[in-house]
Amino acid sequence: MKKSLLAVLSFILLSVQVALAQEADRITGFFPGTSFTRFAELVEQQTSYTFYFKEADVKDLTVNLQANQDKLEDVLAVIFEKSDFKFTISRSKEVFISRGEKLQIEFPTDYFLRNTAGGGSVLQDEFVRNRRYTLGTPGPGTEAKIAGFITSLENQKPIEGAIVYEKESQRQTITNREGRYELILPKGNQTLLIQNIGGYTEQRLLDIQGDATLDITIGEGVFSLSEVVVRSGALSNVSRPEMGVQSLSVQQMKKLPTVMGEVDIIRGILTMPGVNTAGEASVGFNVRGGAADQNLILLGQNTLFNPSHLFGFFSAVNSDMVQGVDLYKAGIPASYGGRLSSVLQVTPKEGKKDKIGGSGGIGPMTSRLSLEGPIGKNTSFVVGSRLTYSDWLLDYIEERADLGASRAFFGDFNANLSTQLGEKDKLFVSGYYSKDRFQFDPDTVYSYSNLNYALTWTHYFNDQLELDLSVGRDEYEFDVQGEDNPLNSYLYGFSVKQSFVKAVFRHEKGDRHILTYGVHGIAYGLNPGKIDPFGPESIVIPDEVSPEKGLEASLFIGDEFEVNEQLTLSGGVRLNWFGNFGPQTLPEYAAGEPFFPENIVGENSYTSGELIKSYLGPELRFSGRYALNNWSSVKAGVNTMRQNIHLLSNSSVITPTDTWKLSDAFIKPQTGIQYALGYFRNMQNNAIEFSAEVYYRTMNNILDYRSGATLILNDRIEQDVLVTKGKAYGLELYLKKVTGKLNGSLAYTYSRSLMQTDPSEQKEQINRSEWYPSNFDQPHNVNLVLNYELSRRVNATLAGKYSTGRPVTLPVAKFEYGGSERVYFADRNSFRIPDYFRLDFSVNLEGNHKVNKPAHGSWSFGVYNILGRDNAYSVYYIPEGGKLQGYQLSIFAEPIPFISYNFRF
Amino acid sequence: MKQVLKIVFVVLIALQACRTPFDPEIPSKEISFLVVEGYLDTEGKRSELKLSRTVPLDSSTSFSPEKNASVILSSQSGQQFQLQEEEPGIYVFERNVPEQDVYNLEIFLANGERFKSKPLKPILTPPIIDAGFQKDEEGVEVFVTTKGDENADDFLWTFEESWIYRPRIRTAYIYDSKIGTVRDRTAEEDISLCFKNESSPDILLETSSRFQDQVVFKQTITEIPTGDERIMERYSILISQKAIAQEDVAFWEILKKNTEDIGSIFSPLPSLIGGNISSVDNPNSPVIGQVSMGVVQEKRIYINRVDVSPWNYLDPQFNDCIISLEPVFTQFYASTFGSGFVLPTIPLMAGTTIVGYYVTDKRCADCTLYASPVKPEFWEDE
Repeated sequence: MKKSLLAVLSFILLSVQVALAQEADRITGFFPGTSFTRFAELVEQQTSYTFYFKEADVKDLTVNLQANQDKLEDVLAVIFEKSDFKFTISRSKEVFISRGEKLQIEFPTDYFLRNTAGGGSVLQDEFVRNRRYTLGTPGPGTEAKIAGFITSLENQKPIEGAIVYEKESQRQTITNREGRYELILPKGNQTLLIQNIGGYTEQRLLDIQGDATLDITIGEGVFSLSEVVVRSGALSNVSRPEMGVQSLSVQQMKKLPTVMGEVDIIRGILTMPGVNTAGEASVGFNVRGGAADQNLILLGQNTLFNPSHLFGFFSAVNSDMVQGVDLYKAGIPASYGGRLSSVLQVTPKEGKKDKIGGSGGIGPMTSRLSLEGPIGKNTSFVVGSRLTYSDWLLDYIEERADLGASRAFFGDFNANLSTQLGEKDKLFVSGYYSKDRFQFDPDTVYSYSNLNYALTWTHYFNDQLELDLSVGRDEYEFDVQGEDNPLNSYLYGFSVKQSFVKAVFRHEKGDRHILTYGVHGIAYGLNPGKIDPFGPESIVIPDEVSPEKGLEASLFIGDEFEVNEQLTLSGGVRLNWFGNFGPQTLPEYAAGEPFFPENIVGENSYTSGELIKSYLGPELRFSGRYALNNWSSVKAGVNTMRQNIHLLSNSSVITPTDTWKLSDAFIKPQTGIQYALGYFRNMQNNAIEFSAEVYYRTMNNILDYRSGATLILNDRIEQDVLVTKGKAYGLELYLKKVTGKLNGSLAYTYSRSLMQTDPSEQKEQINRSEWYPSNFDQPHNVNLVLNYELSRRVNATLAGKYSTGRPVTLPVAKFEYGGSERVYFADRNSFRIPDYFRLDFSVNLEGNHKVNKPAHGSWSFGVYNILGRDNAYSVYYIPEGGKLQGYQLSIFAEPIPFISYNFRF
Repeated sequence: MKQVLKIVFVVLIALQACRTPFDPEIPSKEISFLVVEGYLDTEGKRSELKLSRTVPLDSSTSFSPEKNASVILSSQSGQQFQLQEEEPGIYVFERNVPEQDVYNLEIFLANGERFKSKPLKPILTPPIIDAGFQKDEEGVEVFVTTKGDENADDFLWTFEESWIYRPRIRTAYIYDSKIGTVRDRTAEEDISLCFKNESSPDILLETSSRFQDQVVFKQTITEIPTGDERIMERYSILISQKAIAQEDVAFWEILKKNTEDIGSIFSPLPSLIGGNISSVDNPNSPVIGQVSMGVVQEKRIYINRVDVSPWNYLDPQFNDCIISLEPVFTQFYASTFGSGFVLPTIPLMAGTTIVGYYVTDKRCADCTLYASPVKPEFWEDE
């Protein structure tokens, strides 16, 4: 394999980091303006170092940084960076601080302060940071321009704001948003240091002979990346103005035990407080008492209408193609809108800029492969695909279970391309396609697919103003092909397609304001359902619910205003307009009468493009943070949201055949308001984060259905929909330990989610129009994730989940009808299935870190549902021997071991 | 990459979806609602209206008849017909009434509660055009074909099945304790020919306007898997076709959904069931039942085993049934056959005299243990 210098660089780094990390006494802590004396004390407590300095020398010196498993050398280098202090560390870990002259002790210990020009010991050859690289070709002049990009080793993201400086000449610069730096340095042997704020300091020994490019991938290393991610989260826990925001990196997800070895982003967010799911085999999730269709799932800029694979067992997003996810439960920025409960922003990965690489995995259900790297100088790509070979597994299930699944296939494909157009412009193109196909019985084939693509242009007008302009398209469709009898064979299909354009300006105005404003437009085209005969013999009559067209336009402006050090306010308005357009023929119901067929008094026809009905409403977003001190804050917020597209679903979980429906002349947009209050506190130098949030929300115009409503091919859905109100409230407690060998999180949520048929509804009043629990009302919810790092290469994770059983409607009496025993069901959702409890365990094994290995491999294995508890998914009754027997159906009723192999090259 | 290929991939997996019994605590609060079921035939065919009460789930019976009620069908043109209670909870209507009229059903319970129906409009059910069966590798499918019209769009089918049931071993002999010996069985004593009857709990619904010219072509009524007992010799099915109104469809669909579709992975939520009967005194108290009026169309077909052979019916519970190798001789008749558990099957002849019988167990030869020896009135032999 022919490798460039940079390839070697970044590759070797993996092992270097590990080697260095093993022996060093690392420093962790948040030092906000701490005096140096106090700092020294703290370090002495934490480590085996002993400090020697003159009290008077350092009396004006304060330490202002955050360290996380950093080496003392790096930390001190930063502290003393602009001063004349020098330090020396002896082998016996004595730290000598002096001014002006560096204290000479008997032998050199500090490996990077001494530029071993030609010495070249054997040891140094092993260390990329201590190897000297020759840059450029000799030419005239005494100085040379060195430029390049600084990217993260782990996620290849450009690192913004990293300080690049040369030790001797003290020349320095800061990387811009794309991670680019440029520095004029004297020729000759130089030491370039790259300080990623709060993170590692990386160094390169250079022999500069002329102008050159030096791209540097800097090292969080294999193990410490997640620590870095968590640290940035730690700061924001207390200081960010929004509340109710949860972030999760792919590295954190990868540590969680999986089902069938599939790393799953949605299962990852289910460990967060305030997020639960009605069914185990469902990736549909509920946030703060909202329905599953009230979550906006964004893959980059694209909306995913169906985020699941394999009838809901897995999420549709390939974890290899993702950097991380952010879930906004409250405090949703004004630039987001369109759903009532939450925004799940999945950040797609950008390709590495330094060399071609890839990653992949082999698990019992699927295989993954992705490839990334640069194309030319300014462009990088990443493509990835995932394919299943689940049939053998389904055969196995079918022999033993009620699923009756026969065949299933799924696959997905992602491609992202990012290119730098000069200094100020950047283009990002992304595409996603997924396909699912499965059968429950031999005669009926279900299939669905997502297709999404988008182009984002980022332009930097100046340091204060930037623009993100995106255009794209999201498509989702499914069809059902029934062939049990050639005469009745049919093909039933549904599709929703939207094109969008979104412009977001981000404007830093002075030191205290960050303005975000822009427009967002979506054009919807929806085919609500169509049935056609399938095959020449079929006598099924084609039927089609007339297509729906809609246009949504939003104007938004938000401001993050730092009033003073304690108080930050963040507010915004989003003005949302939605119009439903022809062609359409609609019945006219008698004024003031319910939507019953008998109340139809006429018919209205609308031509193509004619506005049928429009809705306009503001959405207000407000949140504020008041810092009580450096480690705790109080936050409060109010959010209002609007939703113009609704999922029609008659079952308690999202199913692959649920269809979407636009607001129209009869179905109004859903609206909601949420009030939230929270207390945030970091403890033990940010090692422990704690938050407590309470919320109360109400929802209007949400949908429930009258008894026996048919949602498929229903032309007049308004006749079957019940106007319903919702309310939800809860308390979320979250405790997270982010550092140390033992880390993890514990979340407890108390929440209620209730619904009520509007008392004015005349079609049917569920439970006599009293408040009833929604299908996902699970008051108590506990989530535990414990991760223990046995060694640098082995970590073990234990994850536990407890929740109150979800509400069900149970039969309470029986009677005879139609020649058989039938059951009478009690009030809607007046009973609960048994409580849910599950423990999972997994171990991740990193391969060794030999430099010349072609691939870096890691194994994960573990057990899902280690206690083998039969958690009920649902309950039902069937007549059996003259008696009505209740059964509970469990999906994963036994411990399910899994193993998967992942590699990177 | 070589290393990847070298990896021996061992997968340990034991995914299992399973079901276990579930017995929730349901408040013992007595839930007893009136249940009304009936399709009243307007052409004078005997039709039943069943009145019953719901019972708790753990009750051993599901039919708790509502006795001694007074049930009156009155037409809007002023005629009144009283339904007669023939069996507990079963009220019979057998009148030819005008189809173009609109009717109301009133129910007065023995305890004084009063109920009434919404107006009932009879629907003239079109006749069954064809009823038949076809065989494929999985078994036999029984179907009907009919054609809807402007008044009769939605159809409900029910069926009753009957079939000949034979024991594994047939015998023509009986031990008669009065005469102390074995003699031939009389026709009344025949235990080799029985009949089973079952009415189906399935709810079959179809809307004819879904199809071209409203022709419901070869609608599956039931499927009999190959080797099933029902076609061990001769099978008969009576298919009843009723045209029903759209509101009736909604009721039957809920009933069907609440019975058949609950608990699978993607099953819909159970729905509240009501109907077109309500309490006069307390309109909010639940009543279950959708009463319809109209004409019932019926068709009976027969299927013989030879029509569908090879059929290969074999009930494994009788696989140990054999005729004894050793005969029972005359002097042991009383001790062997007296208890009735052992039956004579084949005579052992010595010249022209019967000296003994080869025997078998009663359970192998007596079909009356499993079915009725009485031939149904309608039964037609080949």
